[in-house]
Amino acid sequence: MRSPLLFCVALSCALPAAAAPATPPPLPAEHLIVERLPARSPHRVYLFDEMFDNETDQRVHVFDGDSYRRLGQIDAGFYPSINLSPDGSSTVVATTYFARGTHGARIDVVEFTDNSTLAVTREIVLPGTKRAQTLPTLFNIAFSADGHFLYAAYVTPAASFGVLDPAHGTVLGEIDTAGCVLAIPSGPNRVSSICESGRLLTVTLDAQGREASRAMSEPFFDADRDPVFVQGIATARGYAFLSFLGDVHEIDFSGPQPQIAPVWSLVSASERGHWRPGAEQVGAIQRALGRLYVPMHPGGEGTHKDGGTEIWVFDLATHHRLARWPVTSQGLTRVVAVEVTQDSAPLLFAATDKADLAVLDALTGRIRHVERHFGQTPWQLLTSP
Amino acid sequence: MRSLDRLFEHSTRSLARRTSRRSLLASLGQVLTGAALLPLLPIDRSGRAYAAEGKSNGPESCDYWKYCAIDGSLCACCGGSSSSCPPGSVPSPISWIGTCHNPGDGRDYIVSYNDCCGKSSCGSCDCVRNEGEKPMYRPSRNNDLNWCMANTDSNSYHCTVSVILGVAGK
Repeated sequence: MRSPLLFCVALSCALPAAAAPATPPPLPAEHLIVERLPARSPHRVYLFDEMFDNETDQRVHVFDGDSYRRLGQIDAGFYPSINLSPDGSSTVVATTYFARGTHGARIDVVEFTDNSTLAVTREIVLPGTKRAQTLPTLFNIAFSADGHFLYAAYVTPAASFGVLDPAHGTVLGEIDTAGCVLAIPSGPNRVSSICESGRLLTVTLDAQGREASRAMSEPFFDADRDPVFVQGIATARGYAFLSFLGDVHEIDFSGPQPQIAPVWSLVSASERGHWRPGAEQVGAIQRALGRLYVPMHPGGEGTHKDGGTEIWVFDLATHHRLARWPVTSQGLTRVVAVEVTQDSAPLLFAATDKADLAVLDALTGRIRHVERHFGQTPWQLLTSP
Repeated sequence: MRSLDRLFEHSTRSLARRTSRRSLLASLGQVLTGAALLPLLPIDRSGRAYAAEGKSNGPESCDYWKYCAIDGSLCACCGGSSSSCPPGSVPSPISWIGTCHNPGDGRDYIVSYNDCCGKSSCGSCDCVRNEGEKPMYRPSRNNDLNWCMANTDSNSYHCTVSVILGVAGK
């Protein structure tokens, strides 16, 4: 060490003063601005963090699946429900605030956020304290297909749903659902609810959002033998509901009444009861490809919220399993939520029980990126419809 | 016992309000079986013994037998116990129920999972077990709902207790 030091000292002494490195110019003054979001991309994902350890401060993270950048945040209050408008231009958050932060008088409100600015643009105060405070589904707060109505599920624990007018920011009314829960939207004016009997109650509304008629379907599942998850997955013509044991119930909601397709299974006879779906968001469907992605794990009764150790991929037309992607052997922990983009180069997003967010090629299963420690409990992912 | 009676009453009332008649009869029959035996309920000796021995498999452990259908923070880790809310919090008047096997006496018990409310999340001893847990169309067995929902003063969620209602019928 000594000789280089002596060399440097000698060299600097020998250099003329003019050769000394010039002091760089000062940095220019900065101007504080608010960042603008990039244009909405099919690869943008809205990640709902339930914030289990701080539940009065839940939020939605906005993340770009191409640049792997966190783009911004939407605040979501206590036990919220999240959804996107049919055109993807706004995020709707139905939530609860307390007058004194964590306590005090409760107010339930629906907030609309402009997805091009992430600014809250409107709110609708909900009547009473009825809003369903439950875990994420697409049916806690949901738009009609044309965006004309907005439906808010109520549980007190008596079940009903509210009909809202998002354009005018008003509450139009409330429909009793006779013990059936959630608000599954279809068409411009129909809402279905899931009943303990395994049936669907479908209420058709008039132009003012009042009940015009109601009908009950035949049962399509048995809540004692093999209940279905309420986290339905959007298909081309309705929703698919997975059962705890891995049955797939596809329901066509495009007509006046739901049409229930023949049931099929994710598992073989030898796998049944040993491998099963499990997660907070238990499946995703790429509608153009006709592919279903399900977090699966080996486990028995009572493990239906355990995340997937693998993601299984199915062809919806043939019901064949196309692939098993063993995510836990690739450095991820159990997958508790999945969603897939609907574009021609689709990405599969997978959130884990350690709050990592993985970005996968939805065609091959290759993990492109893992964003580590993304919040606390990321339990729902939404992409543009 | 007074608190047990009150909790049982609230659970029964909540079942009546939110379920169909058929499911109500099924659930009520199950709970009533336990209610008839309430005077015979054993004191939770195994829990106390486990607690005295340490956290493993005791009320501060997710493996504790009474937690078989719980999803939440254990009140035993938050200043309460497996059957008492932490100071300053408020018990939920309604609840979901589970049926748990006590290895200490070989019996199955109907257990009421009440939330303790009015404070922010405790965040300690998060515990998720789902034996017999059902989705929210069967609310009496659902642990996804915030069971502080009916608390009138404040319904923020703090933690969850597990209160024995009675021995489960065969």
